Formats: sequence, structure tokens, C-alpha cells
Amino acid sequence: MRKFSKVEEEAEINMTPMLDIVFIMLIFFIVTASFVRESGLDVNKPPPSPDQPKNDEKNILIQIDANNRVFVNLRPVDISSVRANVERLHAENPKAVVVIQPAHDAHAEMVVRAYDQAREAGVYNVSIAESRE
Amino acid sequence: MREHSQKDEEVEINMTPMLDIVFIMLIFFIVTATFIKEAGVEVDKPFAVTAEPKEQASILIAVTENDEIWINRRKVDLKSLRANIEKLHAENPQGTVVVQADKRAKAGLMIAVTEAVNASGVPRVAISTETQK
Repeated sequence: MRKFSKVEEEAEINMTPMLDIVFIMLIFFIVTASFVRESGLDVNKPPPSPDQPKNDEKNILIQIDANNRVFVNLRPVDISSVRANVERLHAENPKAVVVIQPAHDAHAEMVVRAYDQAREAGVYNVSIAESRE
Repeated sequence: MREHSQKDEEVEINMTPMLDIVFIMLIFFIVTATFIKEAGVEVDKPFAVTAEPKEQASILIAVTENDEIWINRRKVDLKSLRANIEKLHAENPQGTVVVQADKRAKAGLMIAVTEAVNASGVPRVAISTETQK
């Protein structure tokens, strides 16, 4: 098994201190590596002036009031049927964008669910307008 | 029990392949270390089906149930949030911001936080969600 002659081993660098340092650095970086897996929804800025009257007819407006009731184009709907409503309105007017207008005291979950359902319905141009007081 | 050869002390383990591997791991961990600024609180994130993974997230801002804003393990005021984001963003200009809003947080506050992020010059901001139950 021993192929190497004894001669070449005479001049050898002692690797041990370097190895120690490398291992310590390795451990440091393994420990500090925080593989945070964040997933999320990108927030679009609302169109420049969201309450321009001429946009109101084209947009699909989802309003959420302070008691977490949801209105799609001013019609009260259940949160779970937002998707169906948006799909229908989107089919009627494929250029329509969805604007979500939550009240200040609405729950964040409702906004995210409405956003998610609008995207599920195939409308990726969703913006969240500033809340109404 | 097997009899070991008495020549053990003469045989030297070849360290080179191990060193290679250790160095490659070290480089990998150095490169992937992004040092995410975690918010410091746990929030109950809403679910979303259409969420996309956010690889570049470097600053996490949490909005808790009690409408507190946490960034970099500190509770901050909405007014001083923008300065905090600017400071953290300067450290890692490539990173994006993810807002972790609790399900029961106020939508208005969540939107105010995303506005503050936009105002501080970070081009991309996302709302953190849970992808699967």
C-alpha cells in the first residue's frame, strides 16, 4: 500500500493551526447562516390617484370595512367568494385592475386573503389603496 | 477482535481531500451568509396560495397583533420607522423588505408600514405569508 517513499515527507508544512482556524470559521458561518425562507406577496403601489372617478367603472374595487365585511364593487360578499366575483368581473372586463381598499381597522388577514384571491382569479394587477378613515 | 497492525503510527492520513471539502463548505457559507435582520417577534402570518418565495429578503418588519412595529429586534414608532429602514437598507442595498403582518394587525398600519418602506427608497416590498397550512 505504501507507494511513497519516506524521503518526501521530510519537508511538510504543519497544517494543524490552519485547519483549526478554518474549522472555527466554518462553524461560525454555519451557525450564523439563517436560512430564513420568506414567502410573500409583492405590494404594488396604487395607481397615482386611486379615487379618480373615471377609474371607478373599470376597476374592481374590493372594500373591507372595519368589521371585516367585504364589498366587491359595493356589493357585500363573503370573503371566500371574492375569487368567484373577481373572476366574473374580470371576464366582463379583462382590462380591469383590482384595487383593495381596506378600512384602517380591518384585519391584515382580510387584506391578504382578498389580495390572494384576486391573484388566484387571474388578476395579477392588484394594488392596495391607502385606507379610508 | 481483529488484530491491528503495529505500524499505525507510521501511516499518516492524507488531509488534502478533507481540507478541500472544508474550504468549499467555508466558501459556500461565506457566500450565502446574508445576515438577515430579523424582526424579533413571532407573528401569526396569514395564508396565501399565490405567494412567491422571497430570496432576497434582508430586512423583516413585523406588525404585531397589538399594533406594535418591530424591526431588527427593536420596537419602533411608525414615525422613526423610515429612518430605521434607511439605515438598515444602506448596509445591504441589494436586499428587499418583507413586512410580516399578524392576521389581526390593523390593515391601516400594515399599509402605513409599506408606505414607509416605499418612502425610504426600497424598491420592492412584500407582505409575508404562510404558503401551506
